[in-house]
Amino acid sequence: MKWYQRFDWIIFLSWLGLSLIGLVAIYSATQGPMHADTFIAGNFIRQVIHVGLGVLLIVLIQLTAPQSFQNIAYLLYVACLFISVLTIFFGIEVGGERNWLNIGGFRLQISEFMKTATVLALAAYLTSNRNTTARDFKTIFMIGFFITLPVGLITLMGDTGTSLIYIAIVPIILFWSGLPYGISLLIIAPALLAYFSVVNWVVALVLAIIIPILIYALERKPILTFFSFATCLLVVIGIQVMLMEVLQPHQKARVEAFLDPESYRLDAGWNVIQAKTAIASGGITGKGFMQGTQTQLRFLPEQQTDFIFCVVSEEFGFIGAGLLLFLFFVLLSRMLYLAVTHKHPFAQITIAGFLAVFIIHVIINLGMAMALLPVIGIPLPLISYGGSSFLSFSIMIGIVLNFYMHERTFSIYAS
Amino acid sequence: MDDNRRTNIKVVFITIQVVLVFVFLIFFGRLIQLQVLNYDKYTPISERNSIRQEVVNPARGLIIDRNGNLLVSNEPSFTITITPMDFNMESIPLLANITGLEIDEVEERVMTARRYSRFRTSRLFTDVSFEVFSNIQENIWQLPGIGHEVEGKRSYPSGARLAHAMGYLAEVTREELQNSDRYRLGDRIGRSGLERSYEPFLRGQSGNRLITVDARGQALGPFDGGFQDLNPERGTDVFTTIDADLQKLAEKLLVGKSGGVVALDPNTGGILAIASAPDFEIERLSGRLDRSYWADVNSNPDRPLFNRSVSSVQPPGSTLKPIMGLIGLETGIITPETRVYCSGGYQRGRFYRCLRVHGHQTVAQAIETSCNTFFYALIDQLVNRFGLNKWAEMLRSFGIGEMNGIDIPGENRGLVPDSSWYDRNFGVRRWGLGDLISLGIGQGAMGSSPLQMAVSTAALVNGGYRVEPHIVSSLRYEDGSTEFFPRERQRIPWFNRDHLASIHTGMRRSITETNSGNYFANVRDVEIAGKTGTAQNPHGQNHGWFISYAPADDPQVVIAVLLEGAGYGSVSAAPLASLMFEQYFLGEIRRNHILDHVLNFTPAPFNPN
Repeated sequence: MKWYQRFDWIIFLSWLGLSLIGLVAIYSATQGPMHADTFIAGNFIRQVIHVGLGVLLIVLIQLTAPQSFQNIAYLLYVACLFISVLTIFFGIEVGGERNWLNIGGFRLQISEFMKTATVLALAAYLTSNRNTTARDFKTIFMIGFFITLPVGLITLMGDTGTSLIYIAIVPIILFWSGLPYGISLLIIAPALLAYFSVVNWVVALVLAIIIPILIYALERKPILTFFSFATCLLVVIGIQVMLMEVLQPHQKARVEAFLDPESYRLDAGWNVIQAKTAIASGGITGKGFMQGTQTQLRFLPEQQTDFIFCVVSEEFGFIGAGLLLFLFFVLLSRMLYLAVTHKHPFAQITIAGFLAVFIIHVIINLGMAMALLPVIGIPLPLISYGGSSFLSFSIMIGIVLNFYMHERTFSIYAS
Repeated sequence: MDDNRRTNIKVVFITIQVVLVFVFLIFFGRLIQLQVLNYDKYTPISERNSIRQEVVNPARGLIIDRNGNLLVSNEPSFTITITPMDFNMESIPLLANITGLEIDEVEERVMTARRYSRFRTSRLFTDVSFEVFSNIQENIWQLPGIGHEVEGKRSYPSGARLAHAMGYLAEVTREELQNSDRYRLGDRIGRSGLERSYEPFLRGQSGNRLITVDARGQALGPFDGGFQDLNPERGTDVFTTIDADLQKLAEKLLVGKSGGVVALDPNTGGILAIASAPDFEIERLSGRLDRSYWADVNSNPDRPLFNRSVSSVQPPGSTLKPIMGLIGLETGIITPETRVYCSGGYQRGRFYRCLRVHGHQTVAQAIETSCNTFFYALIDQLVNRFGLNKWAEMLRSFGIGEMNGIDIPGENRGLVPDSSWYDRNFGVRRWGLGDLISLGIGQGAMGSSPLQMAVSTAALVNGGYRVEPHIVSSLRYEDGSTEFFPRERQRIPWFNRDHLASIHTGMRRSITETNSGNYFANVRDVEIAGKTGTAQNPHGQNHGWFISYAPADDPQVVIAVLLEGAGYGSVSAAPLASLMFEQYFLGEIRRNHILDHVLNFTPAPFNPN
């Protein structure tokens, strides 16, 4: 077969489409008259370079053998951990977060690359064990260990939003590697309960009763059921205590603003209201390229990064935003399909892990932009401005493409 | 194991695919909810966000007197503004130093503005003096975030106070805002006088400026190249019949007194001077509201806001006698030669006193000497032969007891009683001739305002035309076109000029002969005719009246004066009017002793007996 027949065009074209939408949106968000002579104005040209680099990286990755990723997975993981430590000590502090390392003019945000490395390391561990199921306690503990190190370091950098992503990878990887459904449910239960505890604690309480019943129905283990019930209750109570006692004032304000943006219209609710206004005023066809008043007059904070979806929605309307959603859906579904059909377990778990990272980013970022979730500073993959983030996601895409292209040769090594 | 794993992975695939579909369905649903269903709700929010509509206030119309002198004009009022975000709190002492305010107060104002909005510009000091304004401009480099706005405020360059005639402005009330879309919060609207009655003309049309603003509310420039802006239309200029010099004199002469003066042209009804005392300083009510002064004026027991020239109603007293005489002649009860014997009073049920024994009197003599007996007899005959209502009707056709339609608010109808009035107030058949006799000399249950006395006197001297008293003669619109207001003169139907001679003679002689008005009102070179009056005041000192016109053979000016609580009209009201004639016709006041007399006039101590 020719290379282009073994190349997964669906993934590559959705990657390209999303990257181009990102470029257009970043251009609109940074090249308006309001941004002339500000440092933001340089973002567009830098992102063009990032996309160029992305293409280059994807091509280079296609030239490497797939097993080399398995071989260097731990090395990459340790290297990223090391750079994280360096960042904590020598990083540039921006807005209370110290997660950039200045390397010869390029600001490296290691926490972005760490995502890729962690997934690779996890996959390598689960495969090397020759036991891709996660039924034993030791495996679960090791997965926890692999996750805890980067989460700890990234939390030390002050980037709590990103550390959330890692925690969210765990249940998907575990689920994938054969963790019983009941236990998988138990693992994601805290996240569900936490969300509903904030939005409506009565619903959360009802869920805290339903989930243990479901777990009992799936696993038929009374002790596990009781344990899950206790956990669920603890989460609901814990969240309430956290809301009242533990959270920093600015974090609390964000949560309250999410629940009731109108009351905080000038403070934390500002983002929520302006984001909703930007999206909704776009209508079906949008206000047109460079014509979005919310965008051009900078009503949207972080519009070229976290709130980039609003730029697309405002200027290109439901048609543009719908296309973006559609491309993401295609990309994620295709990754899922490849993960399932791939014959090599390392490739399977790696793709599943990347898929998890993508899904969590997309859900949190779009949920935040559309005011379904509280504001958490997470980039929208491939669309948001940011070199480290864009390149990290492009590397993931490159590896997925690589696995697909070399599936037959790679699969020889599979058991 | 493999088989088990196959089914396992299939379930995993389906689970995650279902979750994916579910998540994206939520996102699509939310997108439709926002962009399709809520589009209409958020579009105006986004427009309001980015376009600020600024109202450009029009310049209010000018008010000009009959000789082209500016009575009311506009002058800039300087307002210091602040944008709290750019402001440096350390410059508060400097600001306090320049404005002469306490540091605490400046800080308080800055904090108020800050609480309102950190980004928007608000007013910090309104209507500051030019000195403070220029001082701030000099130090502006040390005062980041401080700016200024120039607004308009009313000024009165002629020197005439004109408090009641021109009227003051005040901020629109919440109610007015709700009922009209012409005003916005903080606009000032005419509250009294011409400013109120000509408000729709004077105001002009405010303009609109659309400005694109950024998220911090800072102006970036005109929206859409200014094509959608609407230029303000300046207010219409109002030309009046006021004579600024005469007005100033009237005001000056009224200082320290309580009463009203109306001077008008008997041929047109154009008002030359209209003044009321006590008055207020219109300037202090015309800028930003001076609260303490407003409270002062509003609660003053002397009621300075009350326009006595059109609103005060008092029995006209003897000033009614000329018209009474004319009515007598017209109805045929008397002829110019009819003599009535005055024995010091009139006996009808009881004895109605006259001032002294006048002997035989013709109507001209009775007016000259102000003989009560003559008019007691006259009204007695009148009500017996023609009825009270005939008298009331004839009197009303002169404008007494009726609205005259002057173009400032506050006009009082006055009171000329007819039988139904008595029925209502005394009870049917509970009143009789005894209640009517004193009407003959303008006392009892009747009242008129200085304006009404001026209008009725005008009819008496212009040949029987009831004029429409007015202050405004024409309007000059923004485009330069002028609109004149033609004023109706209504011929009084029963009026017969042939009977005027004896009335005029009486009025002229009451000034020239050794009578009540002689000393104070006779001016050399100006032929004044008039009639004094004294209205009985059950609550205190009597009110002084004077109606007059000049020159006697070709009347150009009618003046009516009411001085409340000033005693006899001959010593209080008459000299005031005569000084005004002197000023008007001679251009100067020659009788300084009369001027001193009026300026320093104090009514004789009130004697309840």
